[in-house]
Amino acid sequence: MTVLLDVRNLETRFKVRKGYVYAVNGVSFQLQAGETLGVVGESGCGKTVTMLSLLRLLPPAARIENGRALFEGQDLLQINRRQLRKVRGAQIGMIFQDPMTSLNPVVNIGLQMSEPLVYHRGMNMPQALQRSAELLEMAGIPDGQARLRDYPYQLSGGMRQRVMIAMALACQPKILIADEPTTALDVTIQAQIVELVKELRDELGAAIVWITHDLGVIAGLAERVMVMYAGFVVEEAAVDDLYDDPRHPYTVALLNSLPSVSETKGHRLASIGGSPPDLSARPHFCPFLPRCRYAIDKCQTENPPLRPAPGVDAPRHRIACWVDVQERGQT
Amino acid sequence: MSRHEPFAFEIPAAASVDSQVAYRRSSLWRDAFDRLVANRLAVVGMIIILLLFFTAIVGPYITPYDFLSQDLTARNQPPSAAHWLGTDDLGRDVLSRVIYGARTATIVAFSVTGVSLIIGIALGSVAGYVGGKVDSLIIWLTDFVMSIPSLLLAVVINLSLKTPLTYWMDDMYLATHNPLFRQTIWVDFALVFGALALVQWPSYARLIRGQILTIRNRNYVLAARALGLPRRRILVRYVIPNALGPIVVAVSAGLGQAMVLESAFSFLGVGVRPPIPSWGNMISDGLRVWRHYSHLLAAPAAVLGIVTVAFSFLGDGLNDALNPRQWKE
Repeated sequence: MTVLLDVRNLETRFKVRKGYVYAVNGVSFQLQAGETLGVVGESGCGKTVTMLSLLRLLPPAARIENGRALFEGQDLLQINRRQLRKVRGAQIGMIFQDPMTSLNPVVNIGLQMSEPLVYHRGMNMPQALQRSAELLEMAGIPDGQARLRDYPYQLSGGMRQRVMIAMALACQPKILIADEPTTALDVTIQAQIVELVKELRDELGAAIVWITHDLGVIAGLAERVMVMYAGFVVEEAAVDDLYDDPRHPYTVALLNSLPSVSETKGHRLASIGGSPPDLSARPHFCPFLPRCRYAIDKCQTENPPLRPAPGVDAPRHRIACWVDVQERGQT
Repeated sequence: MSRHEPFAFEIPAAASVDSQVAYRRSSLWRDAFDRLVANRLAVVGMIIILLLFFTAIVGPYITPYDFLSQDLTARNQPPSAAHWLGTDDLGRDVLSRVIYGARTATIVAFSVTGVSLIIGIALGSVAGYVGGKVDSLIIWLTDFVMSIPSLLLAVVINLSLKTPLTYWMDDMYLATHNPLFRQTIWVDFALVFGALALVQWPSYARLIRGQILTIRNRNYVLAARALGLPRRRILVRYVIPNALGPIVVAVSAGLGQAMVLESAFSFLGVGVRPPIPSWGNMISDGLRVWRHYSHLLAAPAAVLGIVTVAFSFLGDGLNDALNPRQWKE
């Protein structure tokens, strides 16, 4: 397996009225070709900002302070705008959370889908429209040719997300970054979209980064999962290892708060007390400390680095925690 | 991010049935046009305004009399077959003068709106795109300019600039006989309505700044950037078409407003001066003799009133048609 994307020590912060908000604090990860990586964590823990940083799509207040993102031998954080535009859309596609607002309301689907094909692939308009129709059908929208003339407001949320996916995959990118693509959709449509992405992944062989706060969604989709908290990666493991043997207290808590079909009725759904920390300063202690059941003294003075989980066979299971949860959990 | 997307509305059942029966290429602009046409008042307004523009262009060539030619044997005549709207105190045909007044009003409306729109677009988009200190400076400037009363400005310019300049031009004409100095009407237009344009632009600048600020934070612009589209494509395909609706509405309202202001200025004697006819100075002349010759007041006042109402109908109609958020069934 070849490493497609190698992110090292990425740091992004936002300038606000009083100082800074440290949104991403030294995130490192690797993405193999054709692999599906799930990124989980609650709102505001830096999942989206990490991915936007890679394509430098951040709002003006944000700045990338440090890090490298090697993609095919070039550092995405250093290349010039022209080179970057050749990567965006063509090499790395991205789909967003809210399909209702992610399509240009005054341009029809056909013209909108043709833009990247014309720009990146140098197709002429008839070719691009032809290809767009095929892509729509590939994305599960019947009669693509007729839909080209539709405007976004004529499509439902699920249909729009299918259009977004077709558009992001139009130039056959090597990586597809999906930023909570199912959050705004209802459950049945969610399942359809996940199925669609799976099918397209197998067909096109693209690597996928799937951002979500729903551990249930990525269980059947991802091969590897990265758990983020307060701008840090706190646990990273193969999907089965993570579900069977979670090692970070945050991951444990997230898994505990999943509703289960087998659970008896009348049982109150578990939740994690408190809320993510204020990120106006880089924490010098474990950011999860205030909410952690397992905290020890060391957690208050030193922020644990990401390192191989102690006492685990899986080679790529890494956690950022001083405590061995399994051991402490039994005592 | 706001979930109240302007175009995220359901198509009514009737419309979707239509589109199944006879497949028709529908677009948001066409839908907007359909909604505009469905609004009777807006259509009436539109027809009146088109008629006005038509009159302004060809009117002076089809008038029964020259707007300046006097007939002292037929002064202050009531409407008749020869003079449909009667004649004024110098025996000039009122209809011809009202028609020429349409040209005056239209020239002023278009030049004022055009100039202020250009300044507004330039400063507004710079403020919206660049942001920061430049934005604050431009906003401060708009606040400052908006606090100037336009009528007072016109009076001041009239006294301090226009009158001396007009005398100077008269002198120059007497001295050189250069035809350039003969017509002083252009001084009226350039100075008074230039001043008007200078106080009208802030509303456009603010509108355009606001449009740019909201649209460039829209998800579809982010999505377009994520597709690697160059900035110019995004501007042309994404930002401008989405910003256009409110600007069209504002321009329509601005044209009407400029016409009324022209009449008001001319009425007060600081705008277009006689003998060039303007509805404003005709109303002013008619007002002095309205007890005896009421047609001299009624004709220009009625035309001005009708045109003002027409602009207001069209503006309302455009606002409803281009702003589906307010669209009620």
